[in-house]
Amino acid sequence: MYNCSLAYNILINIKTSKCFCGKCDSVTRRIIMTDKAIVMKNVSKEFKVLNRHEGLKGSLRDLFSRDYKSIMAVNNVSLTVDKGEIVGYLGPNGAGKSTTIKMMTGVLEPSSGEILVNGLVPYRERTKNSESIGVVFGQRSQLWWALPLIESFKLLRDIYLIPQKDYDDMLDLYRSLVDIEPIINKPVRQMSLGQRTLSDILAAFLHNPGIVFLDEPTIGLDVSMKSRIRDLIKGLNEVKGTTVILTTHDMGDVDALCRRIVIIDDGQKIYDNDIDHLKTYFGSYRTLKMRLSDDTWIEKEIDESRTDVMQEILSAQKEKGVRDIRLEEISTEEVIRKIYEGEKSA
Amino acid sequence: MKRGFGFYASIYRKILIQDLKSKMSYRADFIISTFGMIMTNLSGFLTFMILFHNFPSINGWDYDHMLFLYGFSLIALTPVQCFFDNNWNLRFMVRSGDFIKYCFRPINVFFYFISEVFDVKGIGQFIFGLSTFVYAWCRIGIPVTFVTIAEAVLFLITASLFMIAIMNASAATCFWIINSGYVMVIMFRFKDFAKYPASIFNAVFKFIFTFVIPIAFVAYYPSLIFVTPDNVPLLTWLSPLIGAAFFYLSYKFWMLGVRRYDFTGS
Repeated sequence: MYNCSLAYNILINIKTSKCFCGKCDSVTRRIIMTDKAIVMKNVSKEFKVLNRHEGLKGSLRDLFSRDYKSIMAVNNVSLTVDKGEIVGYLGPNGAGKSTTIKMMTGVLEPSSGEILVNGLVPYRERTKNSESIGVVFGQRSQLWWALPLIESFKLLRDIYLIPQKDYDDMLDLYRSLVDIEPIINKPVRQMSLGQRTLSDILAAFLHNPGIVFLDEPTIGLDVSMKSRIRDLIKGLNEVKGTTVILTTHDMGDVDALCRRIVIIDDGQKIYDNDIDHLKTYFGSYRTLKMRLSDDTWIEKEIDESRTDVMQEILSAQKEKGVRDIRLEEISTEEVIRKIYEGEKSA
Repeated sequence: MKRGFGFYASIYRKILIQDLKSKMSYRADFIISTFGMIMTNLSGFLTFMILFHNFPSINGWDYDHMLFLYGFSLIALTPVQCFFDNNWNLRFMVRSGDFIKYCFRPINVFFYFISEVFDVKGIGQFIFGLSTFVYAWCRIGIPVTFVTIAEAVLFLITASLFMIAIMNASAATCFWIINSGYVMVIMFRFKDFAKYPASIFNAVFKFIFTFVIPIAFVAYYPSLIFVTPDNVPLLTWLSPLIGAAFFYLSYKFWMLGVRRYDFTGS
């Protein structure tokens, strides 16, 4: 049953059917392979944390100690991501985001459940998997510190065995999307944080991976750099059809890039839907603010399914006279905050 | 295998060239570290001289033989210094979590990590060691034939494998324990014993330096082939195999650490 290299796909994707090894027809295979970028089924990750002791003696003792406590970092998460999607993967600090990404990239092995990334089991085939993914960890540059960016690119070209033509095309694409001339010959150690992040993102897309994981790519950047980076990500996603998994705490990133968001808290998935749908998570309401003739502002929450905005304005106009109105949408940030807080108190 | 030995050799060569280029651009740093290396070697050599002017022979080893051993150990310690120096940074990277970046590339993690640093300071040591070695070689009057040279090369490689294995294994302890720095420093200090013939130690230490921390293989056992050609112990002849095995085990231990390490926190 496991003779077939695709056994995992078939076992996971079509639960009821067996792997007919040697009889796997390519049509079915292709559908499975191209259909989903990521499939996670009931994935959990449990950490055994050692109660550490101090000093050399203590650490030697730890070497033999069996004094563990276990922490459920990711708890029974299932997730499917289509090719070409940009998914915002959100959650408060310590929710299990990084752990999930580490499992998808093959660095960590899930304690239970199954993961398929580009049709591969990342932990078992880390090397093969890493050819078709790109990873950026916000504050940690993965480039060669001392080398000019272009030299890092050339090394990556050799490491990923990128054909020269594809490499040249990619650099042309980069030139059309961002101004890379100021950074291309600069050693990474001399770059500003923004330039470094930009370089890291470019490096992550260089081998044209199917999926790119971006972990807080805009952290600590100024407004203009943030927007350049968002444009770049969006551009690369559109041109190359790259699937992007984005973790961030900046709702600006989410609003600018993601159509779909997944929220995780305490290791459990608590939201997975369109961003538009998110705004109706706590009822679809807006806030109507009106300045009356006596110069005071009054606020009213409008639930569009029950109340009519115009009706409200008209009735206020009749009673006191309205001088100014403002209609405020609930922001993504506010909804997310409410979700985080709500889940914690619950 | 699309990523075989040739692939890794070419990647290493490219990283090395770029690294050297960028090091040259920091000229002051380059000069100071070269100067520092010369001074370190010179002071080590002076200590050695003073010691052996007072004790002209130790346990049947005269000055020239000691010098031979000294030069041998310096050359044998060069590869670990030049190519495997990044092991010293391993524990910091592991603790800060920066180590994770080595896991995202489709190449061997150990290779990727080790290839990142090339320490030029080792070159000074190599030149110093080689001159001492050649000088002692002539003084002892070892014949220069194809066989002796081949033996010298083989046993120098063997000896360096032992030191690399020791440093790999002690660096890899950081995947399990916090204060692995001590382990590395202690092991690195042990290399000083490599300069002395293991026969001067008592039975217990001789056993330890042969089988537990194989420091005696870094110079003593391999050099016996030249120093006492009539009486070469079996361990000397076996040392290339033992060296390769030790290196392989240390590599496996290192990789086991990578697998085991949880990468908690980010």
